[in-house]
Amino acid sequence: MNIVVAVKQIPDLQQIRIRDRRPVLDYVPCVLGDIDKSALEAAVELKESVQGRVIVVSAGNGEIEDTVKEALAAGGDEAVLVEDDTLADADSSVVAKVLAAAIRKIDDVGVILFGEGSADNYSGRVVSAVAADLGYPQVGYAKQIEVDGPLARVTRSLEDSDEIIEVPLPAVISVVSEIKEPRIPSVTSILKARKKPKAIYRLDDLGIEIPSGKNITTISNLAPVSERKGIVVKSVDELVKILKSERRLER
Amino acid sequence: MEFKLTKEQQLIQSVARDYAEKAIAPLIEEIVEKNEVPDEIIDGLKDLDLFALPISDEYGGAGAGYASYVLAEEQLSRICPGVAVIVSVNNVGAAAMSIFGTEEQKKKYLPMGTTGSGVFSFAFTEPGTGSDPKQITATADRDGDYYVLNATKRFITNSSYEGPIIVFARDTETGHINGYIVDKFCEGYSISEPWKKMGVRGAPLYDVYLKDVKIPKDNILGGPGQGFWILKVAMALGKIGISSIFLGAMLAAYEEGLTYATAKTHRGAPIAKFQAIQMAIADMFMKYEAARWMAYRIGYLADNAQDKGDILKDSAAAKIFITETAIDVARIALNIHGSYGLMEDYKISRVWKDVIFGSQVEGVSHLLKVLIAGEILKG
Repeated sequence: MNIVVAVKQIPDLQQIRIRDRRPVLDYVPCVLGDIDKSALEAAVELKESVQGRVIVVSAGNGEIEDTVKEALAAGGDEAVLVEDDTLADADSSVVAKVLAAAIRKIDDVGVILFGEGSADNYSGRVVSAVAADLGYPQVGYAKQIEVDGPLARVTRSLEDSDEIIEVPLPAVISVVSEIKEPRIPSVTSILKARKKPKAIYRLDDLGIEIPSGKNITTISNLAPVSERKGIVVKSVDELVKILKSERRLER
Repeated sequence: MEFKLTKEQQLIQSVARDYAEKAIAPLIEEIVEKNEVPDEIIDGLKDLDLFALPISDEYGGAGAGYASYVLAEEQLSRICPGVAVIVSVNNVGAAAMSIFGTEEQKKKYLPMGTTGSGVFSFAFTEPGTGSDPKQITATADRDGDYYVLNATKRFITNSSYEGPIIVFARDTETGHINGYIVDKFCEGYSISEPWKKMGVRGAPLYDVYLKDVKIPKDNILGGPGQGFWILKVAMALGKIGISSIFLGAMLAAYEEGLTYATAKTHRGAPIAKFQAIQMAIADMFMKYEAARWMAYRIGYLADNAQDKGDILKDSAAAKIFITETAIDVARIALNIHGSYGLMEDYKISRVWKDVIFGSQVEGVSHLLKVLIAGEILKG
């Protein structure tokens, strides 16, 4: 049984600067998001119990082949990529359709892992759409996964409690970052990543219809304005009182 | 011409950065206090193949080349120059062996400095000479199938770790300067107390004493008469390490200066709003940018040079420029801090004591300028 991990290339968030409340993306390299790396780490651990392979799936522009090396260095065994420049701006419904089509090309899929949301937009829409497209059950907020024959036992991290459920496989599971701390890959594994097998498809190869118009239009996406309140306190007690009054200590 | 890192280089850079931030940074105060790097750090670097980046994977290295080595060393040194110095000196010894060593020597010794429990040392300097091989007083007396070594070597990094040390000594029979491979802590090997040094803590320097140390006659690196060539290559590669290390220290200074300038307020505004501080920020940026591309280029040159000794002029130039610029940038960052920069609670005070090392070690600047001019005038 193979474990699929869907990953997204995003701009390196540490290198983005904000100008006029908008991100400046010039010369910012593409990387994988941290939650995707956690999903990958969970997949590598699961692989040992299911005797399968970890297959990284991603869709993006021409840089995706380079970006996915990071996932192959961190434990992915092979990659299935859909490469097309139009995918850089594609909305989530298109991406979901493309990913589902790519996953259909893989044999013996058991678990399909996603990060709970991408580290750039964090809309979390793609996971459900892929599950719906494939007709597989979907489980969210997973912080622990065990595969037991045809079932996966998933511990979900909910706001006030954990919930343990069983789901028949194949299933689409999205994980929270606490599921696994991503490893730091070794230099040798980075250098070997380029030699791992990669299947690269163009959109035309997938046999799917891509709608010409966009389903979703982003009207506004601005960085929040942060202003100092300029409150001067004279004691710790006073500071605690103000923080309590603003409910800052309850988080 | 393309000023761009490959994806692999970006990843190696971030591996070193992540490891330095996650594993080394939490221990930095202990490292500085004890002047000692915990073994778990060395083990961690070996596990990630960061310890012997340029050495061929055939012998346990990463085979990642010198451009990647420069990037990784910069990131390690940004957090702890002492750790980066241990890596650099290990690499000088291991690289000299991988270039000049016989197959038997490489198979026996290289894995110690790549994946095994050892760390390479390189012993050239003596109390009476720092950079002139002709002044070496260490002796190697041939005794049948052995050499008997007697030497006092000064300021030797990594000499307290197990593993091989390459000791430069004169063959009393032929007069040749050779690099002799000695197993540290063999009979007759001892070290002094560590020198009490002001900066680059974690990589202690010792004097090494060899008293009638007996080694097999085949333990001459590269065979008899190769000493000069080995030294030329080691000097070139050592300067790549030092350039990268003080580039990292410079980056630390730059970041500290910038952070303080945006965090410290005066009359209700960050001091970065003042033009005098803005001049300082621009100066730090300019100097760091010039230095880092010089460092990256020297890594590239080392990867593409048939004979690593051929890049000595360029690596010396990079070493002078980068180590002196690191002092400039740290001075600017210190000025931005004002009096606070003198307090040990502020990282810049430690960085200041680190950067001052660069221009004093691995050939002082004046000496290296004579070497560079000599190469240029030679035509």
